[in-house]
Amino acid sequence: MVAQSQRLSPTLFQLWWQKYASQVLPPLVGIVVFLALWQGVSSSGLTRLPAPSTLFTDEDTRTLLLNPFFDRGGLDKGLFWQTLASLTRVAKGYLAAAVVGISLGILVGVNQILNRALDPIFQFLRMIAPLAWVPITLIALPNVQIAATFVIFITSVWPILINTTVGVQQIPQDYKNVALVLQISPRKYFFKILLPAALPYIFTGLRIAIGLAWLAIIAAEIVMSGVVGIGFFIWDAYQQNYVSEVILAVIYIGAVGLILDRLVAWVQRRIVPEQ
Amino acid sequence: MTALVTVAQVAKQFPLAGGNSYLALQGINLEIQRGEFISFIGHSGCGKSTLLNMIAGLDQPTHGQVWVGGRLVKQPGPDRMVVFQNYSLLPWLTVWDNIALAVEEVLGHLSPVEQRQIIQQHINLVGLTAAKDKLPAHLSGGMRQRVAIARALAIRPEVLLLDEPFGALDALTRGNLQEQLMRICEEHQVTTVMVTHDVDEAVFLSDRIVMLTNGPGSQIGNILTVDIPRPRRRMEVVKHPSYYSLRSEIIYFLNQQKRIKKMRSRAMTAVARHGLEKVNLELGFVPLTACAPLAVAQEKGLFAKHGLDEVHLVRESSWRGIVDGLVGGYLDAAQTPAGLPVWLTLGGHQDKPLPIVSSLTMTRNGNGITLAQKFYQQGIHTASQLRNYLQEQTEPHILGMVHPASMHNLLLRYWLAAAGIDPDRDVRLKTIPPAQMVADLKAGTIDGYCVGEPWNVRAALEGLGFTVATDQELWLDHPAKVLGVREDWGMRYPNTHIALVKALLEACHYCDQPQHREEIRHLLARPEYLGTDVRYIYLGEPGKLTCELNQPEYAHHRFYGEGLNRPSRTEHLWIMTQLARWGDVPFPRNWLEILERVCRVNVFTIAARELGLLGTTQTSRSPIRLFDGSEFTSNQDPIDYLNHLAIKRDFSVAEIVLERPQAA
Repeated sequence: MVAQSQRLSPTLFQLWWQKYASQVLPPLVGIVVFLALWQGVSSSGLTRLPAPSTLFTDEDTRTLLLNPFFDRGGLDKGLFWQTLASLTRVAKGYLAAAVVGISLGILVGVNQILNRALDPIFQFLRMIAPLAWVPITLIALPNVQIAATFVIFITSVWPILINTTVGVQQIPQDYKNVALVLQISPRKYFFKILLPAALPYIFTGLRIAIGLAWLAIIAAEIVMSGVVGIGFFIWDAYQQNYVSEVILAVIYIGAVGLILDRLVAWVQRRIVPEQ
Repeated sequence: MTALVTVAQVAKQFPLAGGNSYLALQGINLEIQRGEFISFIGHSGCGKSTLLNMIAGLDQPTHGQVWVGGRLVKQPGPDRMVVFQNYSLLPWLTVWDNIALAVEEVLGHLSPVEQRQIIQQHINLVGLTAAKDKLPAHLSGGMRQRVAIARALAIRPEVLLLDEPFGALDALTRGNLQEQLMRICEEHQVTTVMVTHDVDEAVFLSDRIVMLTNGPGSQIGNILTVDIPRPRRRMEVVKHPSYYSLRSEIIYFLNQQKRIKKMRSRAMTAVARHGLEKVNLELGFVPLTACAPLAVAQEKGLFAKHGLDEVHLVRESSWRGIVDGLVGGYLDAAQTPAGLPVWLTLGGHQDKPLPIVSSLTMTRNGNGITLAQKFYQQGIHTASQLRNYLQEQTEPHILGMVHPASMHNLLLRYWLAAAGIDPDRDVRLKTIPPAQMVADLKAGTIDGYCVGEPWNVRAALEGLGFTVATDQELWLDHPAKVLGVREDWGMRYPNTHIALVKALLEACHYCDQPQHREEIRHLLARPEYLGTDVRYIYLGEPGKLTCELNQPEYAHHRFYGEGLNRPSRTEHLWIMTQLARWGDVPFPRNWLEILERVCRVNVFTIAARELGLLGTTQTSRSPIRLFDGSEFTSNQDPIDYLNHLAIKRDFSVAEIVLERPQAA
């Protein structure tokens, strides 16, 4: 009786495990196998790449790993601060890109002539890689901080702009007809019809853009030396041959990128209505 | 009463890629009264939705104007609310919010409380009270369409425009929604215009059904008035006598449009051969015993013998099909009722005079008047007995005839009028395709008819009715069916015209010979011709000439004989007087010119001479003798004749201006 009731009322963890084992187990196994392979290859001496275990065995790296919050002034800061600096830059550039991209996108989407005039320029500019912008911005803009933010902006604005334009252009004629027949005021049309209808497209753009922005910040910081940020941290570590620190930073970058993407996806789910 | 919606001379052209344009609609005139329910029906791409959009203001006509409530339509507005085919609900708004969006915008002058009341009231109206906070994605198609209807009605439009509102729904939902819509429209007296391709839906819901022809250049082909009383219930509507005739009328129209499209797509270029301008001919006929010459000419190779080796016989179920074919130009020639050439020439079809030439009278006689059996049983055997009977009756009696310009109509009217029965006031005449007469008589929707054989004898043989009068009792040897071609066609293909008359005259000669009767009867019974039992098809002399139930008599056809086939000016003139008498067309002041244009004796004479059948070319100078003893001669003043007829409408006399014939 007792044994039975124990079996009938398993612990919370057991319940969770029953439900999600099939989802959790494969990725876990994948990661473990990957790390094991890496460890194997590194210990075999085929490459100079340090093994993942060096994150713990190397003393400097262990310090960085275990203490992300130290701040010794200048560029010598813990990884948390480095990442935060990069994120702040991304936030500024991305926010600017969102504002400019969405508003310009709506304008271009609504106005055929404007669209014809600007589309070739947009298509041309969006083909330019983030790194190619760096020298131009360094020349054009007064300081490195602003230049870095601008690179983020210019990289992430295109997907937002183009998706917004398409979203506005794709508003079904039926919705427009409804607005026409009801003679809805422009303001109401904007908020009740145009924006909700274009929202899925806008969010697709925003999600692509956040990925691009995060990719671009690393590149930008590497080139614009002398700033606090995870990108320059990698470059600095590489220059000083702290390879295990590079690996640690790379893990940070991957994790932050993933979190950012999920974050936008979550916002998207919250805001965009299901259809 | 002024119309709420007026569509005046509207045409719509769409620009195409490459600088061309597509003419979707042309010459659309329509008036819609307040409270009416109108349907537009037609094939896909006929421009019915475009027309609706032009009333809505979503589209602008290229020509003409649309007026709603006395204002010119220049842009869309909430007074003309549209219910779109795919509902067009905003998916991010709930049922309530979708309706609220419209109400707030249009009825913004009302207080919020009143607005909420209106929204709630309309949600209740369409039975969606429980679903008011749901998003459209969580509703079924039928529910979404109900929301769209509620949204449209909530803003109290002057006209409700529905674009195939139930097209995407399953049959059961559609039926329910139709009933709901009708109930709402009836209760609130909503003026409604609906685009549909569902015949039953149109009949069930509409007061009038506007049928559009196929594009390019779609026009209003016809407007049907649905005389089924309201409130309507589906089961009662289906039983109403008009239901099936309306339904079949629409289906006829739609089928006709489909056939026109097919014929248009067929190569219509003239194939010249054997010294003839055109040997590929489309010849129209209506399945009647009288079509024997065409059947014989085709089956016995007489067309080919005279060089016309690509003749295609087009079977039309009604004379209207023949008229449409000649007017539309997709029939080269047709066997027509004797009155049709004059009627078309005088503008009987849509008031547009179209010169039609008649160069051969193919058959005489073969017509009869049939009354339902109940009359015989009540001892009504003559027209005067019928008159006495009608005087005691209060409910209207309906008699069928096949076309306003057919001899059946003219003879039936003459026969009635001679007995003192006004064919418009004492009875009602209704146009019904020949093959449908017996069915209508059986159903009791008509009390009798005048039609060509085999439909009189068939009613008699089936015990449904009796023949009260045949040729003998009307006008012995009256012209029945003639060959009709457009004048411009005759001008363009003069040798083909002669060859056609030759082939048909020879066929008439063949039909007249007694030894061929059995063969022809069996030929006509085949499905491509009459498709009826051979026992209903009679040729030759009838046995008895009095009306009786036990011994069914039949009207006898005459296909060939001295003076019988030559087109007769006197006869066409008499037809002119009768058409004017009943107000169908004005009597032409220039009747001599009209006769000259219609009656092409020279074509007939050449054909007969080349065939060596000279006996038929003689002119009969004897006057027309009708059963009532009156005579009509060619040197009589026709207007004087008209004035002396007792029962007639207020006929008009007018100059009919015809375009000069263009010689090729």
